[in-house]
Amino acid sequence: MSVGVLDSRNLNGGQKLAVKYFTVAMVLFVAQILFGLLAAVQFIAPGFLFETLDFSVNRMLHINAMVVWMLYGFIGAVYWFLEEESGVEVVGLKLGEIAFWVLTAAVGIVVLVYLFLQIGAGDDTTRWLINEGREYIEAPRWADIGIVAVMLVFFYNVAGTFSKGRWSGVSGVLTLDLVALVGLYLAGMFYTTNVTVDYYWWWWVVHLWVEATWEVLVGCIMAWSLMKLLGVRRKIVQTWLYIEVALMFGSGILGLGHHYFWIGTPEYWLSIGGFFSALEPIPLVAMVVHSIYDAGVHKFKSTNHPALGWVIAHTFGNFFGAGVWGFMHTLPQINLYTHGTQWTASHGHLSFFGAYATINIAFFYLAVQQWRGNVWMGANLADNGWKWKWSMGLLNLGVVGMTVALLIAGYEQSFIERAVEGSTWSGYFAAQTHPWFTEAMFWRLIMGIVTAAGLALLIWDLATIGAGETRPALVIERHEEPGVKAAVVQTA
Amino acid sequence: MNATPLWASETFWKKTAIWVTAVSFLLLIVLTFDSMAKVSAGSTTRVPAYSVINKKIDYRFNASLNRYTPVVEGDAPLFGKILSDEEAEKLVTLGKKTFQAKNCINCHTVLGNGAYYAPDLTKSWLDPNWVDETNREILMLAFLQDPPGNARSYGTGRRMPDLGITEDEARGLIAFLKWTAAIDTNGFPHNFKTLYAQENP
Amino acid sequence: MIEPVQLEDFFLNVFSAAVIVVSGAGYAGFYAWGKIARRPGFVISAYASYASLAAAVWVLAETSHFEGFWRVAAGLMLIGYFAAPLAIFRLCTAMHAGEHSEHDRPIANQQQEEEQS
Repeated sequence: MSVGVLDSRNLNGGQKLAVKYFTVAMVLFVAQILFGLLAAVQFIAPGFLFETLDFSVNRMLHINAMVVWMLYGFIGAVYWFLEEESGVEVVGLKLGEIAFWVLTAAVGIVVLVYLFLQIGAGDDTTRWLINEGREYIEAPRWADIGIVAVMLVFFYNVAGTFSKGRWSGVSGVLTLDLVALVGLYLAGMFYTTNVTVDYYWWWWVVHLWVEATWEVLVGCIMAWSLMKLLGVRRKIVQTWLYIEVALMFGSGILGLGHHYFWIGTPEYWLSIGGFFSALEPIPLVAMVVHSIYDAGVHKFKSTNHPALGWVIAHTFGNFFGAGVWGFMHTLPQINLYTHGTQWTASHGHLSFFGAYATINIAFFYLAVQQWRGNVWMGANLADNGWKWKWSMGLLNLGVVGMTVALLIAGYEQSFIERAVEGSTWSGYFAAQTHPWFTEAMFWRLIMGIVTAAGLALLIWDLATIGAGETRPALVIERHEEPGVKAAVVQTA
Repeated sequence: MNATPLWASETFWKKTAIWVTAVSFLLLIVLTFDSMAKVSAGSTTRVPAYSVINKKIDYRFNASLNRYTPVVEGDAPLFGKILSDEEAEKLVTLGKKTFQAKNCINCHTVLGNGAYYAPDLTKSWLDPNWVDETNREILMLAFLQDPPGNARSYGTGRRMPDLGITEDEARGLIAFLKWTAAIDTNGFPHNFKTLYAQENP
Repeated sequence: MIEPVQLEDFFLNVFSAAVIVVSGAGYAGFYAWGKIARRPGFVISAYASYASLAAAVWVLAETSHFEGFWRVAAGLMLIGYFAAPLAIFRLCTAMHAGEHSEHDRPIANQQQEEEQS
C-alpha cells in the first residue's frame, strides 16, 4: 500500500470503478459551470454567441451536465461502498466497466450533437437522434435506451453483489430505490401531443427523481458515510434511514401535486399539492433536533475534515434551499405569481447545490483520502488546508449569491409581470428591463464567476490534498458486526 | 439493560417506511387514473379536443370559480379552413413535434415550465402583442419563419434565433399554440387579459 | 377554490413563509439544545421561536386568504411544527438509550444484541 500518492492498489475493485465515475463527474461539473456562465452572460449581452451557441443550447447543457454529474457521483459512491458493505467483490465488475465506457461515450456523443447539430426538423427522427426537446430530459431517445441499459447493469451489480454477500438495511433500501429510479425514467420515454399529459408524466420523472428517489439514494450514501466518517452505529443509522424514507416518500410522493396546479390537471391538485407542501418542511425542521442531539451527545471525531465540512454545508444548503426557499413560493395562492419566474431558478440553484452537489463533493474527499492510501485528513493539514476551506467558502458564497440575486429578480418578476401587468408579453418584457432585474442578472454573473473560482480551487485541492502526507488517517472506534469490521480492516 | 421501545426500533420503522411508501404510491396511482381520464383531449372542458383550433377562443371571469376560464364560441377556422378532427390532430401534432425539435422550452416556458429567457407561450395565441385577430396569423407565420427579421425584443435586445422553421412547421406550431391557449390552467397566468379583452375591456 | 395573494400583501406572505420554516428550526434547535444542556434559558427561547412561528402562520393564513380546508392545513401546520420536534427528541433518547453503557460492555454482549434484533 502506498501512502501519500494516488495509487489504485489502495482501492478495491468497486472503488477503482468509482474513481472513474468521480473523474467524469468533475469534468461535467466544470461543463455545468462553464455553460451556466455563458447563459448568464447572455442575460446581460443578448448578442453574445447569437445563432452560434444560443441561450437554449447553453441552458440545456448547463442543466444536463448537472443532472448527469450528480448521477455519476451517486453511481460512483455506490460502487465505492459496494464491496465493503456486501463483504464480497462486485459480481460484474467487467460488465460495470464496459457500462461506464458506454455511458461516457454516449454522454460525449450527446454533448457533441447538442453543440453542433442543436436542433432538427419537426419529425420523429429529431426526437430519436438529436434532441427530445423536453426540459431536463432532452437526451434523444437512443440515449434514453442506452441510459436504461447502463442503469440495469448498475442495478445488476448492486443487487447481485448484495445477494452474493450480505444484505443490510442500507443495501435493501438502496436496491429498492434503484428499481424506482429506473422505473420512473421509463415514464418520460414516450411521445404525446397532449401537452398536459406530457407534463403530467414528465413531472413523474423530474419530481419523483429529484424530490423522492434521489433523496433516498443520498440518504443511503449519507448513512454509509456517517458510519465511515464518524463511526456511528449501524443500527442507529439504519433506523434513521427508515424514518427518513417514511418521511420523504410520505411527503414527497403526493407532494408531486404542487407541480399539477397550472398544467391543465383537475382542481383537486391545488388542495393535495397545497396540503403536502404546507407540511413538507416539518420533517426537515424536526430533523434539526436529531442533528443537535447527535452533535451534543457524542463528541465526534472525524477522519476527514473536508468531507465533514461539506456534509455540514449539505445540512444548511438543504434546509435553506429545499425548506425555506421551497416553502416561500409553494402554496398555490402565491405560486400563481411565482411559477415560471426566476424565483424557481433561485430555489433550484440553492436546493440542488445544497441537497446534492455538497454530498458528492464530500464523497470525492472520502475517495481521494483512500486513493492516497487512507492518509490523514483531520486537522493540521499541510498549508493549514487553505485550499479546501477557500474553495468551500467560494463555492458556497457563489451559489448563495446567485440564489439571492435570482430571488430578487423573481420577486420583481412576480410583482411587475404577473401582478401588475397581467402576464402579457409586454408585461414579461417590462419585468425583464426593470432595474431590479437587470442588476440582479449582473450580480448573478459575478457570483457565477465566484462559483467558478471556487470550483477551480476545488479541483486543485482534490488533485493535491494528501500528496506527500505520511500520517495515516485517524482510526475511529466502531461498533459493528464482525463481518463488516473485517472488511473495514482489510481495506484500511 | 435499556431495551429500545418498539416505537423506536429498527423493525418498526422499516415496516412504517414500507407502508407509508406503498399507501402514498397507491393513492398517486388512483389519482393518476382519475386525472388521465379528465385531461385526455376533448374528454372534459379542461383540455379541449384538437378541433378547437376551428373555434374562437377567449377567456371570461367565472365568479363561482373565482378565476378566468376559457370560453370557446363561434367558428374561427385557423388559416381560413375548417379542419376535421383527424386533420386538426395531425396539424397540432406537427406543431408539438416541432416545438420539441426546435428546443423551444430552453428559452420559453409553456404552462409555466421551461427556461425563463423568453415569454411564456401558454396563452401566446391570445396575447395582445398580436394587436388584433385579423393580422395575427400572418404576423405569427412571418415571425416564426424569420424571427430575427421580425424581432420583438421590447428593449431587451433579446432576439429569437433563426431555427429553420418551414412554413408547414410554422402552421403546425401556431395550431399547437392555439390549442394550448384553450387549456383550462386554473387561472394561470394570473390576471391575463386576452387580445379581445384589450379590444373591448 | 383559492383566493390569490393581494399585491400589497406580497412581501408579507413570502416573508411569513420563510419565518415559519426558520422559526420552526429555531424552536426545534433551542428545544433540543436546552434539553441536552439542561439549560432552561434555551427552553424559553424555544417557546419564543414557536410564538413567532405561530404569528407567521397567522400572517400567512390571512394574506393567503385561507378558508375551509386551507384553515385545517394551517392548523395542522401549527400542531405539526409543535409536536414533531418533541417526537423526534423522544425518538433520539429512546434509540440511544442503551448507548452510553455499551462502551463498557464486552463485545460479545453487543453481538448478541445485534443478533437478537
